[in-house]
Amino acid sequence: MDGDGDGQSRWCLSQVKGAVDDDVAEADIISAVEFNHSGELLATGDRGGRIVIFQQEQESKSLPQCRAEYNVYSTFQSHEPEFDYLKSLEIEEKINKIRWLPQKNAAHFLLSTNDKTIKLWKISERDKRPEGYNLKEEDGRYRHPSSLTTLRVPVFQPMDLMVEASPRRVYANAHTYHINSISVNSDNETYLSADDLRINLWHLDFTDRSFNIVDIKPANMEELTEVITASEFHPLQCNTFVYGSSKGSVRLCDMRASALCDQHSKLFEEPEDPSTRSFFSEIISSISDVKFSHSGRYMMTRDYLTLKIWDLHMESRPVETYQVHGYLRSKLCSLYENDCIFDKFECCWRGDDSEVMTGSYNNFFRMFNRDAQRDATLEASWENGSPGCPLKTWRVSAGSRRKRNEIGVDCLDFSRKILYTSWHPQDNIVALATVNNLYIFQEKPN
Amino acid sequence: MKMSFPQEASPTCYWLQRQTVLNLSLLKLHSHPGHSDPSLARRVLITNTLRHIQDELRGEGVPVPQSFSSDGSLLSVVDGYRESPAGCGVESHSEGSLTPVSRLEEDKHLLLYLSPSVTRQQPPSSSAIKDSFTSALAEIEDLCPTVGITTLFSSEAGHSLAQSDLNSDESRQTHLDLSEMNSSMDSASSLSDSAQTVFGHTPSLLADFSLDDFLFTEIDSLLFDSVPCSSSLSASLGASKVVSMVTDDFVKTLTGYGNGGSQSALPSNQAFKLDLNELDHIMEVLVGS
Repeated sequence: MDGDGDGQSRWCLSQVKGAVDDDVAEADIISAVEFNHSGELLATGDRGGRIVIFQQEQESKSLPQCRAEYNVYSTFQSHEPEFDYLKSLEIEEKINKIRWLPQKNAAHFLLSTNDKTIKLWKISERDKRPEGYNLKEEDGRYRHPSSLTTLRVPVFQPMDLMVEASPRRVYANAHTYHINSISVNSDNETYLSADDLRINLWHLDFTDRSFNIVDIKPANMEELTEVITASEFHPLQCNTFVYGSSKGSVRLCDMRASALCDQHSKLFEEPEDPSTRSFFSEIISSISDVKFSHSGRYMMTRDYLTLKIWDLHMESRPVETYQVHGYLRSKLCSLYENDCIFDKFECCWRGDDSEVMTGSYNNFFRMFNRDAQRDATLEASWENGSPGCPLKTWRVSAGSRRKRNEIGVDCLDFSRKILYTSWHPQDNIVALATVNNLYIFQEKPN
Repeated sequence: MKMSFPQEASPTCYWLQRQTVLNLSLLKLHSHPGHSDPSLARRVLITNTLRHIQDELRGEGVPVPQSFSSDGSLLSVVDGYRESPAGCGVESHSEGSLTPVSRLEEDKHLLLYLSPSVTRQQPPSSSAIKDSFTSALAEIEDLCPTVGITTLFSSEAGHSLAQSDLNSDESRQTHLDLSEMNSSMDSASSLSDSAQTVFGHTPSLLADFSLDDFLFTEIDSLLFDSVPCSSSLSASLGASKVVSMVTDDFVKTLTGYGNGGSQSALPSNQAFKLDLNELDHIMEVLVGS
C-alpha cells in the first residue's frame, strides 16, 4: 500500500534520541511520548520511571528548511518501583501515560502515571537568583551583624538556566487494577484516570478523594468478560468522555446524565464481518487507543489491525476504516503465540485532523491522509535515512523480500515495534518511539 | 517467524488450529510473567478465547471441562480484594488481597481446564441447594455419577489409599511438573504446591495453610474447587503432554484430551477415592475448628 507514485514521502528524519546500539537496558525502553499543547515541549517516559522533556530550540536561521531541533530540557525520576506487601507483587515504575496541562503561567505542568499512582509535576525555570544579602555571604555563611557597616538591597542577577521538576500532587490508592489512561478535562480543573474496570474523576487540587464515574466490575468476577482499555475526555465538552473496551466497543458517556456513568449515552460498535471470523476475532478487536479529533467532531480508535474514524453522531459503524497491516491477518496464530497480538498501539491526529498516524512492526509507521485517501508506510531507522533526506515509502508483500523498499511478511521483525506516537499540535512534526529510541520526523514544507 | 500451518480450508486444519490455540491459551494462563501483577486485560482476552473454543467443542458434542463457566474462572484471582464500595465522593482505599489462596485457585483451574471430565450437567436439584457445601457435594456427584459418590463421601474414610496405580503416579507427576512451573511465584507458590500435593497424596494440608487463609476464604469454594481439581489429576495425564509439548504430535495430544467420557472416567474415579479421604480429613478439621 503505497502513497506517492515515486515511493518518496514528504517526511524526513529530523532527530534520533537515545542510544543507537542494540544493547538496551529494560529501564531505557520508552513507554510514553507526548507533545505539550504548544508543541514546544516533548515529554517521554520510560520503563525505569523517568521522564525526559525535550524543548524545541528557537528557529535557527542557518537551516530555514528544517524546524528547530529538540534538545533535552529536563530529566527527572517520576515514579519509583514499589512493592505491594499484601499481594507480594511489585508495582512497576513504568510510565504508562503522560498528559500535559494547558499552560497557565510560566511553569509547565504534566500528569504522569504508572500502574497505580498519578503524579502532577511542575516544571519551572530558574534563571535569576537574588544576590547581595546583608546578613548572608554569597556562599551562604552568615555574616556577623557587628561587621555590617552599610546596607544594600539585594538584586536579582542572571544565572545559568536551571530547570526544576517538582511533584506537586500525588494521587494514589484509587485504583485496584492497572491504570491504562489519563485524560485532562477541557475545564482544566479535573481529569480522569481509567484502569481495567473503573474510571475515576479527580480534581487536580485534591489528592485524597476521587469520584468513581464508571464501574464495570461485575458482582461475580467469574462473569467478567470485558475490560476498559482506553479512555479520553472530549476536547471541548467538559461533560463528555469515551472509553474503549476489550470487545471492540466504545462507549460515550455524559456526566450530566448521572453520577455513575455505567449507562452509556452512545455505543460505537461495528458489527463483526462473519467472513473474517477467527479464534482471535475478539482479541484483535480490542481497542488499544481512542483519540478525539481536535475538532471534537470525530474520534479515532485503534485495534490490532485497523484504524477507524467515527463520526460521533453515528454509532452504527465508522465513517472511515484504514488497514494498518492487514497482511498480518493470516499470521494471527503466530502472533498469539509470541504475544504480539496483545501489543497496544497508539494513534494520533494531525493538528488540522486531515491525517492520522499509527505505528506497526519492523519499525514501520503508517500515515493516512484522510482528504486524499492515500496512505504511506515509513520506516523509523537511523541507518536508512539521513537527517533532511526524504523517507522512502515501503511495501509489504507476501513471501520474502523481493525488491528494494519492499519486504516480505515473513521477514518482518516483530521485536521492533512502534507503539507510542505523538503529533505536534500545529506543525507537521511527529515523534515516535521505537523500542530503543525516540524519532522525530518533520514534513518538508512545499 | 512462520505460521505453523497454512490458512486452513479443511476441517482437519481447523481442528488442529483450534487445538493449538487451546494449548497456547492454557499455557499463557498458567505462566506468570514475573514478580509484577499480570495484566487483567490479557487474562480476560485469553479466557474468552478459551471459552469460545469450549463452546465450540461443546456444540460438537466433545466433552469439555465443566469448570469453565460453572466454576471460578482464573479471573477470580484478582477478586481477592476487599474494597470499600465505589460511590460518589468516596475515597478509594488501597486494596487488601487474599493472594495466596487466590493463586491456589488459579492453579487448580488450570488442572480443571486440562481435564476431560464427563459432560457438564448440573443436577436439577442444584438450583435448590443453598448450602454451599452441599453444592460441592452435588458437583462431585455430577462428575462421577457411576461411582455413587454420595455413599463414598458420607462413609468413613475407609477407602484404600493404596490404590496408587500407574495413573495416580503419573498424575502426581503432573502435579509436580505444574508445581515446578508455579515455583517461580512468591510465597503463594508454596501454598499452591502444598494444595496440589495434598490432593495428590500427602495429607499435609493443614501444615501449609495458615489460619488466616481459612478465616478469610470461602471454605466451600476451597472444597468446591479442590475436588474437581483432584479428579482431573489422573485425567490430565494426557493433557500434561498438551501443556509441555505444544507443537508436538497432535494425535497424541488429542487422544489424551479429546477422549472424554469412558476412557478417563475410570482413572478419575480412583483418584477420587484418594481425594475424598483427604476431603473427609479436611472437613473434619474445618468443622471442628
